[in-house]
Parts: sequence; structure tokens; C-alpha cells
Amino acid sequence: MKKLLSVLLVALLVAGLMTSALAGTADGKKIALVGKSAGNAFFEIAAAAFKEAGEAEGATIDVVYPEEATADAQIKVLDNLISQQPDAICISANDFNALQAKLEEAMEAGIKVSSFDSAPNPASRQVFVNQAGTVAVGQALIDAVYDLAGGEGQWAILSATSQASNQNAWIAAMEEIAKDEKYAKLELVPIAYGDDEPQKSTDQTQALLDNYPDLKVICAPTTVGIMAAAKLVQDTEGCNVKITGLGLPSEMLEYTGEGKSCPYFYLWDMQLLGKLSAYATIALINGDITGAEGETFTVEGLGDFSITKADDGGTEIVQGLPLQFNQDNIEEMAKLY
Amino acid sequence: MKLKKLTGSREFLLFIIVIAMFAIVSIINPAFFSFKAVTDMLRNNAVTLVMALGMLGVMLVGGIDISITSTLALSGMAIGMLLKYGHIQSTLLCFLITMGIGTVCGALVGLLISRAGVPPIIASMGFMYIYRAMGYLISHGGEWASAAALGSFKNFGTDKLLGLSKVIWVIIACYVIFFIVMKWTRIGRQVYAVGSNAEAAEVSGIKVKNIKLMVHTVMGLLAGLAGSLQVAVYASAMPNMAQGGEMDVIAACVIGGVSMSGGRGSVVGALLGALIMAMIPKALPLLHIDALWQNMIKGVMILAVVVINVILQRIANRNALARREM
Amino acid sequence: MAGKSGRSINNIPESPIKKLIFGWEGILILVFVGVNIFCKWFSEYYNMFNLLRQMPVYLAEVFLMLVMAFILVMGEIDISVGSTVCLAATLACIISNAGAPFPLVILATLAVGTCCGLVNAFILTRFPELPPMIVTLSTQIIFRGIAEIVLGSGGSVSVANTAGFKAISGKIGSVPYILFLVVLLAVVAGIILGRSTFGRKVYAIGTNRLAARYSGVAVEKIRFIIYTLMGTAAGLCALFMVASSYGANTTTGTGFEMDAIAMAVFGGISSTGGKGNMIGGFISAFIIVCLRIGLGQRNVNGQVILLIIGVLLIAAVALPNIFGSLRKAVKK
Repeated sequence: MKKLLSVLLVALLVAGLMTSALAGTADGKKIALVGKSAGNAFFEIAAAAFKEAGEAEGATIDVVYPEEATADAQIKVLDNLISQQPDAICISANDFNALQAKLEEAMEAGIKVSSFDSAPNPASRQVFVNQAGTVAVGQALIDAVYDLAGGEGQWAILSATSQASNQNAWIAAMEEIAKDEKYAKLELVPIAYGDDEPQKSTDQTQALLDNYPDLKVICAPTTVGIMAAAKLVQDTEGCNVKITGLGLPSEMLEYTGEGKSCPYFYLWDMQLLGKLSAYATIALINGDITGAEGETFTVEGLGDFSITKADDGGTEIVQGLPLQFNQDNIEEMAKLY
Repeated sequence: MKLKKLTGSREFLLFIIVIAMFAIVSIINPAFFSFKAVTDMLRNNAVTLVMALGMLGVMLVGGIDISITSTLALSGMAIGMLLKYGHIQSTLLCFLITMGIGTVCGALVGLLISRAGVPPIIASMGFMYIYRAMGYLISHGGEWASAAALGSFKNFGTDKLLGLSKVIWVIIACYVIFFIVMKWTRIGRQVYAVGSNAEAAEVSGIKVKNIKLMVHTVMGLLAGLAGSLQVAVYASAMPNMAQGGEMDVIAACVIGGVSMSGGRGSVVGALLGALIMAMIPKALPLLHIDALWQNMIKGVMILAVVVINVILQRIANRNALARREM
Repeated sequence: MAGKSGRSINNIPESPIKKLIFGWEGILILVFVGVNIFCKWFSEYYNMFNLLRQMPVYLAEVFLMLVMAFILVMGEIDISVGSTVCLAATLACIISNAGAPFPLVILATLAVGTCCGLVNAFILTRFPELPPMIVTLSTQIIFRGIAEIVLGSGGSVSVANTAGFKAISGKIGSVPYILFLVVLLAVVAGIILGRSTFGRKVYAIGTNRLAARYSGVAVEKIRFIIYTLMGTAAGLCALFMVASSYGANTTTGTGFEMDAIAMAVFGGISSTGGKGNMIGGFISAFIIVCLRIGLGQRNVNGQVILLIIGVLLIAAVALPNIFGSLRKAVKK
């Protein structure tokens, strides 16, 4: 019995030493990561990477989802978090403006507020980790449309809901870039909204195909939309419309590649996004950054990142360029996310 | 006499509305008028069409069930996860599993309503939360099962048999079975009897509690079947699928003339109601209605159809009364 | 006595105090205490200060429950209220941004809600044979649809001048104004439902509509008033929703109708009509609010919280019935 006890004590001691030897930059810090809704495969990947990176630095990470994908539900979550007084909240916002009151309250209570994926407005955040510059995404998508349409013809956008703030930003960027002379022969038909529901997305895609027989490309910057559109087009015999947009490789595996409905599409490195957001949040807690324009911080293994001015007037950290998924890399990437 | 009976019936009025809607949309946009457009529409609304039958049974006994799309998500998610992690491959087994889960789900709702005397709206509301949460839990908090993970099961959504999609054959089979059962069997008549007057039915020897349990179990079975169809048609399973779809099903039944207080309604009515509910979202974009206006117009159209139906019914009743007075 | 008690476990409700203790309300009070003990044990952050701070968002939904109780007692339902909240909140923001003084914004928001209620009331009383569920389902889609059109392609609006909304979300000490308002309105609604002629008529309609009509109750007039008031309550809820987010969007108020119905039903108000009272609904509203806050403070998965509420809802209605039939069986 005594022997067992002493072994246990030694083990405990060693474990204690080990943990202190591995001390990270965020020991004992509490960070809460707030998602848009549960059941969003897109977010889960980034959240897992966030959690891993944060825990490696010694922080405790709570991933919290609202009951529904609404701003109302996120407000309730934020209220709960303010009671818990974590060191930081990192949020992917369901609405651009609606969280301002609560996030300001959090900041007043001394909680640092960072955001990623989908930003709340500048007044309600200290820093935003942008997966890829909005303009860069718009540019990549419009170039894909230009390429797939062969430089001219009709194209359409199938979005999520009219409220989805990042979709709206990308669409606005695309429309702005499309004013360039290069794209003058491309004609955008009215935007369709699939509400991120397979059924409605299918109805809307079918209507696009029926209404515009000369349609060449549908661009769907939303995971459910691109999946539904790609499936419908692939199942329709003799339909030569091409699909592109933003999607998850594992969801799009069936539809991507030569001879399939979606030659290629884009997304960014979701794991990197989660990781970078974790480090940015920790830097914010430690006071390495405050979220002001011009600051820089280093992430070991990832390089230097600087804080720049965002299109919405706030500041952001741009992670990189969107990644293209095509015939060559889709199988491999589908295993990752 | 028979013709008069036919033309005066609620189903006939609805049939006229369906034809008129179809004709108007086809004239404005000929793309709507094709075999393919119609079959695509049926396939895209398979879930509503199938569940409308179950809801018909439930509403005939004066009940309601708003847990059905949660049952759909739970059963659909179950096979999604089983396929994704390679536990099963067989398409038939998938259907059996979803229908099994659905039957159990429906039976639980039915037991609560028939044995514990819980009002149907409350019992199904409780289970709406419970089954939906279970769907999330079995998906490990929110995983999806996408096309690549579904193996050969998703082919059910695209395969054809005798020139018609297999999904449509399932719909046809359900409607034929229900039509026969509701019209010509004792069970069908007992369901109507319970809905018209439960006490009288009890006195005449019908086990009212068992009938109520049965209609909810059948509703669950069909919701489970719809879970398979949803996963097959869209080649993906997500825990939040079809959320809010129960209201479309209820609306389909009410538009189809099924009374919410029980006893009145028919399989043909449910079919026509479901067709109207399928046609509205399909037609609005084809008519080049602004994307932001589509939801509002959908609501107005549902309201218009039920109100017109009531007005026509009033006129028919008045005429019938006048005839009797003569 | 106006109105029957909710679900009494014992058949001895002669004196009001006995009735309160042995009736459903007595059990609810015990549950309320139990839930609070549980939350205190479960969450280290569960204290009066945090509770009062977190409560306002939930309390906005209690306004809906107060009128929903009347509708349920009549044996009817209104599932359009969430969308009414959305439309009223949207227009509140737009009117405020147009430069209207705050009192006008309050009036306008209540008016928008009332108008939505009027639409329901008009259709339902003009065509009494239409089921309320289907009418309010259509208006649910329509009201939110109008908000979508008004909000345009951004789908969201925020108020530029937040001063007024900040004022109504103010506090006396640490008690928010909205709590006083909820209690005040609950007392008013409770007296109307439980002690007035109007309330008695509502119960009469819920128990037997035809009999009520033949005995001279102006059924359609009462339904008209209640459905209109439901809209007003949604307008009031909308005001406080805007106060919590300084804005509105196309998803504002989603699912509020179900929350309001759940509170009322858990409080013993029967959805089949004729039963229940405001005290039960009021206590149960606070049980649900406390439970949600307590569980939420420990980051319990939102779906699990809904699951627990689902189980509670079913248990609250099923258990008294099961005990009742067991007792009957034993007596035999």
C-alpha cells in the first residue's frame, strides 16, 4: 500500500514537472470560442485546430455553440460567457451589427474580443482574423467564372441567405471587380438565395437553369449551395453549366474534377485559420497586440503577421490567399477537411 | 347526380386550383411544362409528399405532430453516420433502419398522447426538441455525412425504374397503399370514426387509444422513410436538415382540406395540398419574382388558398341549403 | 371562482391556500426552488447579480407568454408572434434611424405589432372556421417575408441612435426595468384572466365554444381583442430585443412562439383550452429562464438544453395524468 502510494506520488511529481516544463504562453488562461451554430462542418475543423493550438499553449478552450444560427441565440451565449469572465472570447458572428451591445459589455468587463471567419462590426471587436482578404476571394471567384465561361456569357450567383454577411461581402467584391473591362462580356443574372437548405437550393438552381438556357457558370460561395447546385447539374443529363464557388473538399469530392460538374472551387486553409486565430487571441490576452493597425506578431512555424485596415473600417489579420481544389488535390484534401 | 357530387367536392375545387396554377406558370414560363420539370419537382418534394400522408392520418383523429422533421433528421443522420463509418452498405438495410427508428419515435409520441393523455401539440413539441437534439448528439455534435461518405446509397436518389425515378415510385407506392387502406378497409373507417366522434367510436367498440397510437406510429414510420429519402435525394445528411419542414406538411394537409379538428380529409386532398406546396417555391423563381419577395408571396399564397377554399365551401353549403329548402 | 386550477394532484382544493400548496402551482414552486439549488450547485457563476444581468433577453419572451396564455386557454394557438417580433423590431430600427424621437419609436413599434395582431384577428374572426394554426403559419411567413423585403439584401439593420434603447435596458440598482414591467404586466394579466368577467368568458370559450356562444358570450369579439393584444405584446418584446442588440435582422425572434407556448404549458395552461392560470405560467417562465441560464453558464450544449426542456415539458403534462389514472385504478 505504501509502495503504491509512493509510486503514485512520484508519478504525480513527474507529471507536475512535465507540465511546468511545457509551460506555454497562455498558461491558465481561459478562452471561449463561439460558433455560428452546431452542425456546421465548416466551423468544426477550424474549431478543432483552434482548440489544439490553444491547449498546446496551456490555455483552456471552451467551444460554445448557440442553440440556433441566429444573433439572438449568440447574445444568450455571450451573456453566459460574460458571467464566466474568460480571458478572451473569439467569435464567428451570425450578424454584423447585432452583437455590438453584448461584445462591448464584454470588453468593458475586461474580456478581450477577437473574431474570425465572420466578423462582427468594428466597434464590437478588437481584432478579426480574415481567412483570406475579401477582395482576394472575390478576385479568385470572378476569375474562376471568367475562366469556366470562356470569357463571355451569362453567369449566376447562388448565395445562402440575404443576411449572410461574409457571403454579401464576397458578392459585393465580385460585382465591383466585374466592372473591369476584362469582364465586360460576362453578364450576371439576378442573385438567387438558397437559404443553405438543400431543398430550396435545388429549386433555385433548377430555376436558374430553366430561366437562363444560355447560362454558363453558377458561382455558389456557400457550402450547402455549391453542393446542391453541383449535384443537380451533375445529375442533369446534357447540362453543360459549370459550378464553382466556396465549399468543403470532403463535401465536394463527388462533384469535383474533369468531366464532373465542378472543375474547381476554392476555400482557405481551415486548420491554419483556427490555429492563427488561437495565436492572435493569445497575443491579445498577453498584450502583445491591441488590435491597432500596423502592429505585428510572430507565430512560431507560421511566420509574421501584421494587422491591417479592413474594408469595414476596423482592423484585421489576413491569413493568406484562397486555396484552389481541383482534380489533382481534392482526394488528398478531402481527408483533411 | 354523381357529377354534381364530384364538382361540389372540396377535392375538385382544389384540383381546379392545381390545374390553374400549373397552366398559368406554364404559360409564363414554358420550362415548367415538361415531364422532367414535374418529376424533378416531385423528387425535390418527396419528403413533404410522403409525410403529408402520415399527417393526414394524425389529423383525421384530431391530432397534430410537429416532431416529424426531428424524427426525419434523427433517422437520416443515423444512417448517414453508419454509412460514413462503414458499418453498413446495403441500401435496403438503410431504409429498414430509418423506418425502424421512425416507428419507435412515432410510437413514443403516440403512447404519450393515447396513454398519458398529453395534448398532441405538447407531446410532439417535447419530442421535437428531444429527437432533434439526439440527431445532433449522434452526429458527434455536428458532423455531416456527404456524398462521398454515402457510398452506393445515394444512387437511390438518381436511379430510375421503368423511366421514373425510384424516389417517385416510393411516393406512388405510399399513396396507393394509403388510398386503399383509408377507403376500403376497416382500419381506415375506424380512423375516420375516431376523428368524427371519439366517444361514439368508443361506444361502438373501436379502441380509440389504439387507433391514436397507430396513426402516430405510422406517422413515425413515414417520417423515418422520409429520412432515407432526404439523405438519398440530396446525397448528404446534416443534423439540422428539414428544420421547420413540419409546417409545410401541416400546411399541405390543411390546404388539401384536412380538418384540424379531425374526421374530415382524404388521401387525394393531401396529395393536391402537397402538390400546391411543392409548386409554390418551384414556380416563384420561374416567374422571375425578386428573390427577397419569394417568402412573403409564398405566405400570401398559402393564406389565399385556404381562404378561397373556405369561401367556396361557404357558397357550396349555401347552395346545398337552398336546394334542400326547395 | 373563475377558472379551474391547472392540474391538481389532490382533489382537495377547497381553500385557496390549500389549493396553492397542493395544486400544480405548489409543485411548480418546489421545482423552482429545486432548479435554483441545482443551478447554484452546478454553476459557480450562478448568483443574483449574474442572474439579473442575464435575465432581460429571456424576459422579453415572457411578454409573449402573458398573452399566449389567453390564446391557449381559449384552446387556440398563435405561431406568428416570432415573425411579428421580427417585423416590429425591423421597423423600430428604421423609424429610429429616420430621426423619430424615442417615445414615437416606442409607440410606432407597439403599433406595428398591434397591426400584425389585427391582421391575424381580422382573418380569424372573419373566417372562424379556419384553424388558427394555419392562418398564423401563413402570417408567420408573411410578416418575416415583409421584414426580409424591408431589410433588403443586407438582411440586417442597426440603430444609429442607441440612447433611447439604452435607457429602457437600464436598471435600478442591479434590477433591470424590464423585470418590474414583466411583474406588473403579469399581475394585470393574471387579474384579468383569473378575476374578471372577461377572463371568465375566455375560460368559457376554451371549455365549450358553442355553449359559450349560446350563453351570450361574444366569442369573436373576445378572440379579436386577444389576437390583437398578442401583436401588441410582440411589439413590446421587439422593443426589448432591439435594446439587447441595437438592431434587427431577418432571424430576430425565430422560435419565440414555441418558447412562449412551452412556458405557458409547463405552467399548467392546457393547449386544449379551458385550464390553467397565470400564476403557473409565470412561475414556470422563471423556472425555464433560471434553468437555461444555469446550464448555459457551464456551456452545456444548446441542443442538450433543448432536450432537457423537451423532457420537462412532457413530464409536466404526462406525470399528473399518469398519477391520476393510477390513483383511479387503485381506488377501484
